[in-house]
Amino acid sequence: MKKIKPVPLASIVVALFLLISSLYYLLIQSEEIPLVPFWMGGLLVCTVLISASALALNRNADDRTRVVWTRGRFLPLAADLVYFLAVFLLVFSGRIRPDLEFEFLGLSAVFTYDLVLPFLVLLASFLVIKDSINLLYGYSTRGREVLVFSMVRLSAVFTLLLLGGIISIILYKGIGAISWEFLTQPHFRLGQEGGISTCIEGSFWLVMGAMLISAPLGVGAAIYLNEYSKRTGLKRIVTIAVGCLNGVPSVVYGLFGLAFLVATFGISLLSGSIILGLMNLPTIILTSQEALKSVPNSLREGSVALGATKWQTVWKVVIPSALPGVLTGMIIGVARAAGETAPIMWTAVTFSATPVHMFYGVIPDVTQPVNNLCYHLLNLIYFLGAWDVETKAWGTALVLLALVLIINMVAILVRNHYRKKISW
Amino acid sequence: MYQSKILMAAPKKSPLLNRRIREQIIESSFFFAAITSILVMVLIFYFLIHESFSAFMEVGIFNLLFGQKWHSAGNIFGMAPIIVGSTMVTLLALIINIFVGVPLAIYLSELAGPRIRSVLKPAIELLAGVPSIVYGFLGVLILVVYLEKSFDMLTGRSILAGSILLGIMFIPALTTICEDALRAVPKEFKEGSLALGATRWQTVRRVTLPAASSGIISAVVLNVGNIIGETMAALLVVGNVARLPSPIFDVFDQSAIFTSVIAGEMGEVPHGSMHYHALFAVGFVLLVIVTVLNISADFVRAAIKKKFGEY
Repeated sequence: MKKIKPVPLASIVVALFLLISSLYYLLIQSEEIPLVPFWMGGLLVCTVLISASALALNRNADDRTRVVWTRGRFLPLAADLVYFLAVFLLVFSGRIRPDLEFEFLGLSAVFTYDLVLPFLVLLASFLVIKDSINLLYGYSTRGREVLVFSMVRLSAVFTLLLLGGIISIILYKGIGAISWEFLTQPHFRLGQEGGISTCIEGSFWLVMGAMLISAPLGVGAAIYLNEYSKRTGLKRIVTIAVGCLNGVPSVVYGLFGLAFLVATFGISLLSGSIILGLMNLPTIILTSQEALKSVPNSLREGSVALGATKWQTVWKVVIPSALPGVLTGMIIGVARAAGETAPIMWTAVTFSATPVHMFYGVIPDVTQPVNNLCYHLLNLIYFLGAWDVETKAWGTALVLLALVLIINMVAILVRNHYRKKISW
Repeated sequence: MYQSKILMAAPKKSPLLNRRIREQIIESSFFFAAITSILVMVLIFYFLIHESFSAFMEVGIFNLLFGQKWHSAGNIFGMAPIIVGSTMVTLLALIINIFVGVPLAIYLSELAGPRIRSVLKPAIELLAGVPSIVYGFLGVLILVVYLEKSFDMLTGRSILAGSILLGIMFIPALTTICEDALRAVPKEFKEGSLALGATRWQTVRRVTLPAASSGIISAVVLNVGNIIGETMAALLVVGNVARLPSPIFDVFDQSAIFTSVIAGEMGEVPHGSMHYHALFAVGFVLLVIVTVLNISADFVRAAIKKKFGEY
């Protein structure tokens, strides 16, 4: 089997051309597809190549390497060949023309030429690759492995392109809006002019407030669960509650805040901070617990053996050793709180530019509503059709994304740094 | 276990007593912190039930849950369109999510070399943190426009747009957990399989995936909860029109899901009106669904572990 078979390889090359070009035309949705003759030629070539290599499969084979044409092998191959010919004939006979349009089963979509044809060709190219690889390896398990793993690799490439594309398009479109004025001035005329300084300020204080609430409660809860708790029943209930809280949708937190806090504190920085803090609680408890669990028991035992009390042990030994993990959790919490919109929509924010009022220049007035980056972006999205805010919206999205990604990156770096450094 | 017994036997009384009181105070404050999460959970349930109670009473539980029409101006509140919309969006999104997320996890844990992994893994973790409003923004400006053009739709805001966006959004979340589950499978399992002459793919399929299935399935269940509960991105792209799609499988129709109805309409309703209470009822149903999913994810994990044995 060492001999390389040129025929299936050639069809793979043709199929790759079909794959890339059809994907391109599927994405750009152009009315004219100049490549159609090449696609049809390619399909025909692939059909011939695949049939030829299927016929020649057992040519030089002895009993050991002979491929048996079971029904599971033959029928899919035949179906694929029929499919290629069908696509070719449909285009050749003019059934699929540039003015093709049809509706289907009452769906509220119209399927047009520039969608249908690239899709059919894309599907065909996948089938060609599948059959060619199977033929190349003589339907062995090795061929199956190559086939599956190349699909897996393809999905990895797809994700990377997609997610890389998301970041680069925001960077590309948003960078034009960024200027010193944009970052240091409040917005006016419904966000069409000015910048986002009050939003950055408001987001900052909301996140700070949230951390002030969630950090002590979260770390305290984790310490209790990991160091103090002897009652396994209580521990189990708390663990279940934390798991559930972690899954509660952010909009439900918003409703909770609306019913619970707004009646008491009004729409204010305080209400928003409390809601964001409570929302962050499970993240911080879970990550801190992880960190505390990784501190080996010998450290605690050593400390207690020296006569330290429980609290002294926790404060002087356990917390310092678990600090990197706990910090990572907190930083992730900061990033999460900065990116949330739904919990604060009705509890803390206003759209009109309001700088945070400060007492003595340092203490923010917590009873006033604030601006917020996410909420600002939401409003700009609502205004997109009506007012000229698109550039500002891209700029806001870029600032928000950059802030959140940088904070997350710091968390990952802190974790990786200490993971390498600490060895018990 | 390592509680200091010396304290009890110590001769001097007063400083040690202080010390013990201090320890007690500290312990009880930690105890308070620990039960906060129970308290918050109870409070959330209490307030959602409290605020939605009158809606359930006045509209009727059955009518509210399964009524065919959600028409807030006419004070008609039936959640069937929302439930159907949510189910379709979630299922489609989940399909996209699994078909990309699980292979990516397999790639990361089985195929990628250490260098690629050390770049790819943090990149994916980073992307899990992209705020949902940013996804929504891109969805409105890119995905919706693309779908509108390619399917000649009246508006690109549709169930399809919502599910594509949500499916993509939660790829990193699924991949991270699945990859951890795949990596937790002991090396001996794989080596045993390879030593028997199985190819790497046969090993992955017959040994690694089944052994990691508890983690993968509970990750999927958790992701269902994430997708149902995602708000801002969904709000911006599903169209937020609460009516049953006709025909019922029309994924190109506009729709509304639990979160989008709440987030889209809550801003305008007068406090205390029937509409307000009905929106809380939607929130309550959502909360119950998500909580059930979360608890069942735990049970699934435990049940599968029991079946395959611990390792």
